[in-house]
Amino acid sequence: MVSIRYEDEHALLRDEARRWLAEHHSMEYVRRVAEDGRDDGTTWAALQQLGWHSLTIPTTFGGAGLGMTHAAVLLEESGRHLLTAPLLPVLLGALVIERCGSDEQRARFLGEVVRKGRIATLAHVEPSGGWTVEATSVRRENGRLRGEKWYVWNAQSADLFLVPFREGSNGATQVAVVPATADGVEIQAETGLDPTRRSGRLVLRDVSVADADVLTASVNQLHDLLPRACVWLAAEMAGGADALLSMTTAYAATRVQFGRPIGSFQAVKHPLVNVLIGVEQLRSLVYAAASAIDAEAPEAELLARMAKAHASDVYVFAASRAVQFHGGFGFTYDCDAHFYLKRAHASRPAFGDGAYHRQWIAQHLVGA
Amino acid sequence: MNETFDPDAFRLQCRGWLAANRPAPPDFVLPQSMLAVGTREQFEFLREWQRKLYAAGYVGIEWPAEYGGRSLPSGAQRIVDQEMARANVPFLLNAIGLAWAGPTILRYGSEAQKRRYIPPLLAADEIWCQGFSEPEAGSDLASLRTRARRDGDDYVIDGHKVWTTLGHFADFMILLARTDPETERHAGISYFLAPMKVPGISVQPLVKMTREGGFNQVLFSGVRMPRDALLGQEGQGWELAVATLSFERGASEGSGGGGGAGELLARFIARARDLSRDGRPVLDDPVVRDRLASFAIEEQAMRYSVQRAQVPALVADRPFALPLMRKLVQSEIAQRLSDFACELQGYAGTLWVGDPRAFDDAEWQRLYLNSYGVTIGGGTSEILRNILGERVLGLPKSK
Repeated sequence: MVSIRYEDEHALLRDEARRWLAEHHSMEYVRRVAEDGRDDGTTWAALQQLGWHSLTIPTTFGGAGLGMTHAAVLLEESGRHLLTAPLLPVLLGALVIERCGSDEQRARFLGEVVRKGRIATLAHVEPSGGWTVEATSVRRENGRLRGEKWYVWNAQSADLFLVPFREGSNGATQVAVVPATADGVEIQAETGLDPTRRSGRLVLRDVSVADADVLTASVNQLHDLLPRACVWLAAEMAGGADALLSMTTAYAATRVQFGRPIGSFQAVKHPLVNVLIGVEQLRSLVYAAASAIDAEAPEAELLARMAKAHASDVYVFAASRAVQFHGGFGFTYDCDAHFYLKRAHASRPAFGDGAYHRQWIAQHLVGA
Repeated sequence: MNETFDPDAFRLQCRGWLAANRPAPPDFVLPQSMLAVGTREQFEFLREWQRKLYAAGYVGIEWPAEYGGRSLPSGAQRIVDQEMARANVPFLLNAIGLAWAGPTILRYGSEAQKRRYIPPLLAADEIWCQGFSEPEAGSDLASLRTRARRDGDDYVIDGHKVWTTLGHFADFMILLARTDPETERHAGISYFLAPMKVPGISVQPLVKMTREGGFNQVLFSGVRMPRDALLGQEGQGWELAVATLSFERGASEGSGGGGGAGELLARFIARARDLSRDGRPVLDDPVVRDRLASFAIEEQAMRYSVQRAQVPALVADRPFALPLMRKLVQSEIAQRLSDFACELQGYAGTLWVGDPRAFDDAEWQRLYLNSYGVTIGGGTSEILRNILGERVLGLPKSK
């Protein structure tokens, strides 16, 4: 059994993140971004000042060199506030470069992220919805990349795309670093369910990619990324679910019907306790999984997949109860619950939903 | 405090001892938990097992050495619990003493009470039962009517307690009785360490739906007990009862007894390899696999929640959530899992204990029926959801 490591430095980081987000990232701001259709970039600039964007990038390349748990702390708080800036996408993008690139590639690309605030985002989902290493259909032939990637987080504001592709018709999957400005790159906006995290389609029409821009990772290194992505996304989702619980509890404690606060009715109270149980379980899994990855423990992948599976179910459940228990108000645009509901739905398929991971978990428990 | 405690070495030592000292299975059916100790031979077998474990240094090991424990650091008992569950050895008979009476006495008892009651409790020389519920006071415990009247240096008890596990064997009962009939509800209740082997007490068996014994009602008729049977102050009983139940509902880490859902799940998966449906192994069925994975996720979540509860900074937002939800969630997981185990057996799941063709001697059916004892006893799941909603989420009280 892994030991959950959570020290004073983690608590301090959490408190700092809470303070900053409470002050600078209100729901009014989120609504403005959702309605304008784009983030003005000021939050992202501020987060770079705070060093959040390079938190987990090794110190050799100018980052803070901190671990999974530190990032999970920030992401949990970000999820609570529906952070619209591309923190999770960039932490993930940097992780891909760090774990898959050569020293020269790391120095070059991570340097761009750390010092120039470049947004590097993972473009790994195929038009079919397949997103695993095996599902890759984008091809490189004669040094030219062709194909499409959909559901790319922050596609419109990204500077660098990390694009898994196959060499020729049957080669192993590798990752190309493609600048948004390269010839043959077209970025199409998607009209997404979730207006707080924009995504788009990346169309690659014979984009020239030199070998120096192909990360040198093996397939195994690509597989190693999944548990990390699962934990970070699950942390963000845990924060969102927890925010919903607080919001709905506060409403149920004050909204009066039949002469009593609706939270005194067990038909409302008991499902909220079920949300509480889910959220608390989820936080235990997230921090256990983050500690396991940092400690390179053998159960890291199992715990990470469990965290993402549970997050997928718990966040949607928390959001559905939030909308429902806000009653008629919950059905309106004025109530904040729907923003979380949309984020919950948008987060569910990313890096595998509950059923997807449970298949792997069952295999792990029972065998083939 | 033992400065040199090495958890890994201790675990191995415990594992080795259990392997070498596991009792031979008796020629009678053993109960699955302390809720179903019906016969004298079951009782003596289990008492002997706890004595042996205590003598070897595996009972009450985090409890203070001056009262018969070993003062080992926090976490040591969890290792013993896990190893006992892993080895699937019998449970500790004096579970009520270990989980409820003992921790309450340690926290609220006088020095004399601690010295008098704790050592024989650990050694299973004195067995404890609990007298909280009454026919008219179940979930609404504060409506209890049993009276404790002062008479000179004694208290005189009259009343009726129900669902008294181990009542027919117990030497002492943690008893809630009303010392002040004028005061409404909570304020008039006091908490007693009541001797059971005294005149005026009648213990009558109740039969559970499994037809197992071990469940009783206890009638008190003019029962005299000395003044020092009172724990804490007169009128403090409700506060102490809440403390007792909180030990049971999760903080009972360190008391011993009981395997978690993890061991149950692992054991069931191992056994389910023998089950098939329409000639195909049930474990090949993707629906079955999905359900098993869901159980595994919940089980791991609870296992790590126990650990997270020890990290103050990670529970600062809601310090009481994890301890208060533990019994609720564990008991519901165990109920759903044992139900699933019945379902997966198909027709075999309809056989009962004693049928030679029953799968695992119908252990899973018995576990399922007995699981209701845990979702009802010690605070029903419904009451616990009220408590979590009110104390942790701060929602207004339900009427």
